[in-house]
Amino acid sequence: MMHTYRELVIGGVLVAPIVSYAAMALLLFLSLRPLLHFVGFSRLFSNPAVAELSLYVSIFGLLTLLF
Amino acid sequence: MMHQCKNATSAAVEPRPLVFAGLPATSWAFAIRIWIAVILALYASFWLELEAPSSAAITVAILALPTRGQAMEKAGFRLIATVIGVAASIAIAGFFSQTDGLLLAVFSAWIELCVYAAGMLDGNRAYAAALCCITVALIAVQQIDSPQQVFPTGVARGAAIAVGVLASALINDVLAVPDYHPVLSIRLEALHRQVVSYAEGVVRGEAASSTVAAGLLRDIVAVRPEIASLAAESSSGNARSAAARTAMVDLVTGLFLARALAAVSAAAPVTHSSHQDDNSSCLMTIGLAWLRREVTRRSEDVRSSLEALRAGEHPSREWRAPLYRSRRIAAESGGRAAIYFALASIFFVVTGWPTTEICLSLVAIVIGLSATAPDTRMFTTLAILATPIACLLAGILKYLVLDGASEFQLLAIGLAPFVIGPALLMTLPNRKLSSLGRLVLVFTIAVLAPTNPQTYDPETFLVTSLFVCLAAILPFAAQLLLPPWSNDRRLRQLLSEARRDLRSLDIRRRQHLAPEEATFRDAVRIEQIVTATATAPNSPALDEAMRRFDQTAALRLCGSALGRLANGPLAGAADAARTALAQRNASAVRASAKALREAAPRHDPPADSACGALVLASVVFSNGSIDRGEP
Repeated sequence: MMHTYRELVIGGVLVAPIVSYAAMALLLFLSLRPLLHFVGFSRLFSNPAVAELSLYVSIFGLLTLLF
Repeated sequence: MMHQCKNATSAAVEPRPLVFAGLPATSWAFAIRIWIAVILALYASFWLELEAPSSAAITVAILALPTRGQAMEKAGFRLIATVIGVAASIAIAGFFSQTDGLLLAVFSAWIELCVYAAGMLDGNRAYAAALCCITVALIAVQQIDSPQQVFPTGVARGAAIAVGVLASALINDVLAVPDYHPVLSIRLEALHRQVVSYAEGVVRGEAASSTVAAGLLRDIVAVRPEIASLAAESSSGNARSAAARTAMVDLVTGLFLARALAAVSAAAPVTHSSHQDDNSSCLMTIGLAWLRREVTRRSEDVRSSLEALRAGEHPSREWRAPLYRSRRIAAESGGRAAIYFALASIFFVVTGWPTTEICLSLVAIVIGLSATAPDTRMFTTLAILATPIACLLAGILKYLVLDGASEFQLLAIGLAPFVIGPALLMTLPNRKLSSLGRLVLVFTIAVLAPTNPQTYDPETFLVTSLFVCLAAILPFAAQLLLPPWSNDRRLRQLLSEARRDLRSLDIRRRQHLAPEEATFRDAVRIEQIVTATATAPNSPALDEAMRRFDQTAALRLCGSALGRLANGPLAGAADAARTALAQRNASAVRASAKALREAAPRHDPPADSACGALVLASVVFSNGSIDRGEP
């Protein structure tokens, strides 16, 4: 079965689904930051920057898959 | 001797930095990283068939910063400013298209607003304000004759910038670009050592130099715009940013207290030798003891905040770091920028040349960017120097290196020296050369304008090169006609604002900033005064500025200390002290301190603090008269 992507419409302007997924993933990632700080996420990895990038990509992928 | 041995040992053990062609390996790594990011941004833009691939590459060049947090913060502001600029472009083009002179007047007004906002902000926030003006220039001004193209152009630019930001972020993450917090931690530690050494000098009885203190304040305050970038660095970024900010504010307060200790120490023997009663001597002793305790406490606070910065934790108490900006200087700079743009517009209307909208948009870019530079005139001079170099480099790359090639691999290899060279220049400690490197890199990519397929039309290249050079010359010529604020005028304005703030400070009213935060805000003004007196470091204006700084900070400390007595048995004495402070009368303040001391029980810490602060206020106000009547 084909996955259909819904386009976001702002004032009659269609926004590409990838843009809305990327923005939503960014918002979710930013809202997760206090939790990540609380659990000491950056101390768990040798390269926290790549770990955070991977987390963002995972959120983005999950959003694309589930919605 | 032992110290020397230790130094020698550490020098032997410490690995020597790797140097290649006279430049450290980190500079080469930075330059190669920028080249890879430019290639990636261009490849992604070509693959996505974006209309403005050069904007993606220029974004990478603009985000070329040595650490990840700095680049991320700037990227965030670049995206936000692009959204605001595109919205403004649509609004301006929608309401004022085909209104000729009125449209240019509206553009001028927008530039004025953006430059004013840039003048009221610092760091990447100021850059974002300037970018709002640049975005309108690139979208609305370039499409001045085809307003229906404003929206598609805005979307194309937004998409290209997003690709550039992603390419830059990806390369920074994957290539493990260093974090900024270790560098900032080292800088703050060095500043802490300098403040401690200044305080130790004061305790030893050495003269407290205003010039040295002002220089230290400038160095501490210069860290402010960089602290914001820590927040973008990692999930612990907000905590680190708060810790660094708190350390910076405490450093300013610590330095002020060290100066206060010097002033009270110098005043103490005079009081004693003049055979005043024992109470005065006792007050001085209380004041000195309180100041010594405060200096030590602030130093401990800084140390604890620095530990929190290293550990990625919130400090035990957080300070805000408010920014001081002169509204008048910002407003006049905005007005001047609008006049520069209007003059350039009139020039093009009079000449009647075709396709001058591109040149006019470039003029707006130079004006916008110069608003974020510390010295506007210096920036436009550098732009005049950078544009011909960039045109020459782009011409060599286009017609000698690539010479008709259309393969991406050849473009990637051909770009290498033209990106790595200016990027290496950007890493030099000399600020002029560093700015020149950044301008050359950005303008080279802009003039080359990589597209898929690459165009090799010599006429387009020549016209673009001519317009780019002209766009740098016109703002410079406009600045000759109407010069920007001179250092002297800036200094007079800042000093008059410092006097006004001191005159209008009423400690009986509730203050919205803590004394430490307000003192930091005043230190930001000192930084601007130091910059304005760069040519005459020992000017009397600097001494006056420091005197006002001390007096204002002492008043605020008194207000805070007396506020703690407001609801206790000493409320009456505290109120009398506030009245004496409102008169700025040193002997009345000293008398009120004496009355407070007599009314308070022995060893009452809040009363001791208030007494100490009042003694300090009496000393700083007796050292320099407050010109309450002068404008």
